[in-house]
Amino acid sequence: MNRRVLLQSSAAALGLAATGCQLQKQLDPRTSDAPPPTDGLPRGTILDRAAFGPSLAAQKSLAELGESGWLAEQLSAPLADSQETPGLQWELRGIDLFDEEGYELRDRAPDEVLSELQRAALLRAVYSKWQLRERLCEFWGNHFNIYARKVYTAPHRDFATGELAFFLGEDLAKVSRKNALGSFPKMVRESMRSTAMLGYLDNQVSKKDAPNENYARELLELHTLGVDGGYTQKDVREVARCLTGWTIHDEFLKPTGTVYFNPDQHDDGEKLVLGTRIPAGGGERDAERVWELVTTHPSTARFVARKLVRHFYGEGRDEKALQGKVAARYTATQGDVKELLKTIFSTPEFKEPPPLIKRPLDYVVSALREANARTDGGAALNRHLSAMGQGLYEWPMPDGYPDRTAAWTGSLLARWNFAIALAFDQIEGTRIEHTDARDDLALRLAAPAFQWR
Amino acid sequence: MQPMTRRVLASTLLTYLLGRSALAQVSLNKEKTTGRTLVTIFLRGAMDGLSMIAPVGDDDYHRHRKALGIGASGLKLTDFFAFHPAMAPLHPFFLEGKLSGIHAIGSQDQSRSHFEAMALMERGAAGSPAEISSGWVARWLDATRPTEVSPLRGIGFGPIQPDILRGATDVSTIQDLAELRLTLPGAAPVDLRQRLVQSYATGTDPLSKAGKEMFRVLETLERLDPKNYKAANGAVYPTSHLGNGLKQTALLIKADVGLEVACLDQTGWDTHVAQGATVGILAENFKDLATSLAAFATDLGPQLDSTTVVVMTEFGRRVPENSGLGTDHGRASAWLVLGGGVQGGKVFAQWPGLKEDQLEGPGDLKVTTDYRNALIEVLKRHGSAEAALKTFPGAQPAPVGLFT
Repeated sequence: MNRRVLLQSSAAALGLAATGCQLQKQLDPRTSDAPPPTDGLPRGTILDRAAFGPSLAAQKSLAELGESGWLAEQLSAPLADSQETPGLQWELRGIDLFDEEGYELRDRAPDEVLSELQRAALLRAVYSKWQLRERLCEFWGNHFNIYARKVYTAPHRDFATGELAFFLGEDLAKVSRKNALGSFPKMVRESMRSTAMLGYLDNQVSKKDAPNENYARELLELHTLGVDGGYTQKDVREVARCLTGWTIHDEFLKPTGTVYFNPDQHDDGEKLVLGTRIPAGGGERDAERVWELVTTHPSTARFVARKLVRHFYGEGRDEKALQGKVAARYTATQGDVKELLKTIFSTPEFKEPPPLIKRPLDYVVSALREANARTDGGAALNRHLSAMGQGLYEWPMPDGYPDRTAAWTGSLLARWNFAIALAFDQIEGTRIEHTDARDDLALRLAAPAFQWR
Repeated sequence: MQPMTRRVLASTLLTYLLGRSALAQVSLNKEKTTGRTLVTIFLRGAMDGLSMIAPVGDDDYHRHRKALGIGASGLKLTDFFAFHPAMAPLHPFFLEGKLSGIHAIGSQDQSRSHFEAMALMERGAAGSPAEISSGWVARWLDATRPTEVSPLRGIGFGPIQPDILRGATDVSTIQDLAELRLTLPGAAPVDLRQRLVQSYATGTDPLSKAGKEMFRVLETLERLDPKNYKAANGAVYPTSHLGNGLKQTALLIKADVGLEVACLDQTGWDTHVAQGATVGILAENFKDLATSLAAFATDLGPQLDSTTVVVMTEFGRRVPENSGLGTDHGRASAWLVLGGGVQGGKVFAQWPGLKEDQLEGPGDLKVTTDYRNALIEVLKRHGSAEAALKTFPGAQPAPVGLFT
């Protein structure tokens, strides 16, 4: 099947009957036909905070719905891509296969799989109508960070290894995307059963005789209670014991790569986790008990609140007070993300938030939206992101990309080079459509003001 | 026209004689500095000090490390300690008295969390990073700031600014000097760069300040030629992240641009699984570390005397091995100090022992040397005792004896 036929038939599947030029237009993932403005786009705070910056389509939608209407719509975002524009669906074709069954991908090059995942994340961030959802997917993906280039040790075969990249798409879909606006505890539960996460943090080799503490520690420190959440070294060890035997299926000749519980390698003795006794003989229910204990812990409420407030509000005067409100809401709603966000968006503090630095992804996506760019989201863009320090899924450590301003002041030169390359159409696979003079646009995107959201 | 002073005349003459040599151009613009350079290398992920500098004279070491020990393959440092065989490139520097080790060193961190312990050590705190919000290198640069500040006074090599430089006003974070340039397409108007400079000229926010600094760095680097740098004395750097960083540090030291501190790091030390003994993941890391450092020391030649390299890590690893033939998070580890004035050929250690009742918590080497004691001695060598103590508020230093 040649490319043209493929395009036509895929377009038909999307319910489009047009051909030729008309079809190309419908498959343009930008959703507005409005001519690009001649001067600076107005800066809408809500679009900078809850979206990846203003685009023509988002501004139009905001103007129609008003701020509270727009937020309400964003908070009710669907899970699937089916409500996206045909243009975005077209660009994403094929990548959705990566959402499941990582082992199906094992004949492909891991770098190619990673590159496609990066492309999908960028395209959705730039073009999705559901901007808040996309922002949250990035936020949670970073909270449960996985380094895509890690090669993990296969548990049952000496010296055999597996590529995490194959399982990353599945993790992103089931952990963060599925629950982005849903239940935080569900995210933790999915993450505890994620091939990519367990392989990343070595739980697949954690056995009853000598539990490996890596995943247990990060589960407490980075995913739930937070480092000052009141757990001890003993708790880390006890959680590790509870999670022994949770491993990755990779039997010789018939590997599936799925996570399963191997009772033979489970430490079935009694444990004491965060002051609660877990009786002996619990088997795979131990993990369930750990999950309940950590996701209902008051420190988890505070930790999740702190991170959300930092992301949507910023570092500032009212940060602590707002954290308290959000943490209380976590406890009241069993960690319903939608409710936590409503709390942030509806507080008076949110009306005048402190300036928040754009991390490289924020910066690149907001610039693409501002410049009204048509992009394939390809490797050239991720190279710019890497130069700025935020190649997607390329942060090696489990704490995710930092959220403090100081960490990112060193990325300016790379930002300037990106702004200039974008404005002068020097990025492969990306072209802008803008009536500003190219040098004026470059300067606007490179200027200090555009680095903040 | 002002009459030409003797100095300007000499400079002009020198420039003429050396032609357009980038190095000469830059050294004429040299800022006032101590003339010494401190290089910190942070081994992120908790390096297994018991493997780098193995206590082969301690029977308990061999008992605990049956699969992961180095056995008799080590390179003798003292009657008690031996280098991991992959550290071989650095062995001559130890024997020549330019390199020393410090063992059972660490902080009072009890979390055994990488991030917590790294933040603590990079900020120079005692027991928790919450004690202090700035990085110790940042405070040091602040305490010793000259009137004329070089744009390349402090450099962090890597994609993002490390915590050790947190709060510093005159440092840059860079990935590769050779890639550090503003790329202007042919279609761009000639004044684009100047207009960009202007847009960063007046702001007071952290990014405007960083932008101004970046333009000063660019101007300096444009006079150097980092792409075509040739190492001296036959030194060959590995092409790794650390090797590249050290090569560029050497370039800046030789170019005399006023580099006072360079902060580098090397990742991949979190060896929970299959760390290997004399070959494997850990051995490869040691090899990269030792080859990079040996190349750096060789390349610098006599200029190593005005340079100090400190190799540090946030904590060590558990003494007993785990079931995955790796090691979990522990407490104390080992550091290296290389450079001028170092009382070389020694391993500074108050050895706490490896018997069960001598270990701490779940089975970890006790910290007997507070890491701040070592850093304070290094900073004294690089400036005043007063500034060194100001950098580590609250520290009550006990002598380690690193320098002659």
